[in-house]
Amino acid sequence: MNERLKQLYKTQILTNAEDQTYFKELTEATHILEAYNPMCGDKYTLYLKMVGEKIAEASFKGYGCAISRASTSVLIKNILGKSLQELQAIIEQFMEVINEESEKSPESITADEELLAFAGTREYPERKKCASLSWDELKVNYPSELSAGNSEDLELS
Amino acid sequence: MFDPIAIKSQFPIFKKKTPNGVDLIYLDNAATTQKPQQVIDAITDYYSGYNANVGRGTYWPATKATGAFEATRTKVKDFINANSLKEVIFTSGTTDGINKVVNAYLMPQLKPGDEVIVTEMEHHGNFVPWQQACIKQGASLKMIPLTETGDLDYGAYDDLLNENTQLVAISAISNALGVKNNLEYLTNKAHAVGAKVMVDAAQLVTHEKIDVQAIGCDFLCFSAHKLFGPTGVGVLFGKEELLSEMPPLSFGGGMVKRVTLEGTSFADLPAKHEAGTSNISGVIGLGAAIDFVNSIGIEAIHTHTRALTDYAIEKFSHIEEITIFGNPKDRTSLVSLAVEKAHPHDVSAFLGERGIAIRAGHHCAQPLMDYLQVSGTCRISFGIYNTKEDVDRVVEALIEVRDFFA
Ligand SMILES: Cc1ncc(COP(=O)(O)O)c(C=O)c1O
Repeated sequence: MNERLKQLYKTQILTNAEDQTYFKELTEATHILEAYNPMCGDKYTLYLKMVGEKIAEASFKGYGCAISRASTSVLIKNILGKSLQELQAIIEQFMEVINEESEKSPESITADEELLAFAGTREYPERKKCASLSWDELKVNYPSELSAGNSEDLELS
Repeated sequence: MFDPIAIKSQFPIFKKKTPNGVDLIYLDNAATTQKPQQVIDAITDYYSGYNANVGRGTYWPATKATGAFEATRTKVKDFINANSLKEVIFTSGTTDGINKVVNAYLMPQLKPGDEVIVTEMEHHGNFVPWQQACIKQGASLKMIPLTETGDLDYGAYDDLLNENTQLVAISAISNALGVKNNLEYLTNKAHAVGAKVMVDAAQLVTHEKIDVQAIGCDFLCFSAHKLFGPTGVGVLFGKEELLSEMPPLSFGGGMVKRVTLEGTSFADLPAKHEAGTSNISGVIGLGAAIDFVNSIGIEAIHTHTRALTDYAIEKFSHIEEITIFGNPKDRTSLVSLAVEKAHPHDVSAFLGERGIAIRAGHHCAQPLMDYLQVSGTCRISFGIYNTKEDVDRVVEALIEVRDFFA
């Protein structure tokens, strides 16, 4: 098998794609998001349980390719226990790792091996959406979705 | 003698290497086919040699352009065995043709209580337009279900038909399963209750002889780009009496007889349904594509792609971890499959690295994917330039994929 592609599917990705730790429904979820790619049919439900400003619990269910599944699993692992503000920074960082137009090398952005594994998609622009599917969903929908319970925000809008 | 290698040499893309430096094995012919040199030349010749608008000018090169444009209409008429040139309307593609039938033929007469029948295997292009029309008019959309083999359930179809059925829209060949439907049967039964029939021949056109008179259908659509021709051009066949009764498919220049402030009288067929400047280079390219197919013979192409399909199924069925979707009585031109533990996109990415182009996903047939209970499949679809060696390369690659994800 081609070395370049093997790099992309590094054991990190295969391992995370098979990891069951966060692959479950969260009945007490306060926020449920759906990451869906209509082009390929990949679909993940993201469950978040917010306690105050923090993501106290998180998990996901769904179906997709090894890359999207692994990146969703890594996303969940990375946002657990984080505040909304921290969440934003984490997402930005990941987006930079997979951005083929970034001037920074992936290694200069993070030392986290699990995140770095996705830098391989820089060489496969057509797989970038797989890597960013759930991250995009959280990025786009968390400001409104996650503040939905906040009546002050609603009144302002 | 049919020689796929000699045929392949007429397609310039195959002289190129992929970015990985390997030969391209193109197996996504159901999405679009590659273009032979003579089609590319015909388009270039028009632009560089006799570019002009058609049907208007009385000067050279307008006369030559009009001649080449109208010559394609004759080629299409013969290619699908239409009764007359009036039955051949140029569109921008299959989807455009279907939408035009929906808007100009069906919509004006569709009313609450009416029924339209499609199948569970339809491409979104032959599903969403009918669905939307039914929603808008309060009519109901009925689906012919599939049996376990992936064949249409013809008995269920018989039961669906009734005096409220206005139209039946069916794919000749499913782009996701390769199932060939019995068009004559479907048409005869529909006509028996007074319903009209629209055939989506997008997949049929490169694989089998189309004979609209033998099928008996009222409308039929296809795209040039799946027939070795250019994108952005297609054909809508309609029975003459229907096309002349129908209001114009769209309005504008070129489709009128006389225009006054108070009203407009419309041109005769086929001009009535071709408003505005057509895709002239595309139509000329389609003409060249039909010449190309005729030079090989559509029957020879059919025999070849069907033999490849059978060969592929035989080979794949020896690999335990591969599931082949559907086991229809009549399958042609493509195979849809899954590799255990490997998502279709991962499979297609691995094959892509080896220069093997296959398609992964829902193939614009989500209702069918729901039926199969998968989110997508890997589709390997054949064209005249493919060989058994191509299938062997796929088998080797699939075995590697299986081992990698095991
Ligand atoms: C069965 C079927 N119908 C309709 C279409 C739509 O064709 P086009 O996109 O050329 O309009 C396709 C193309 O994929 C098809 O396979």
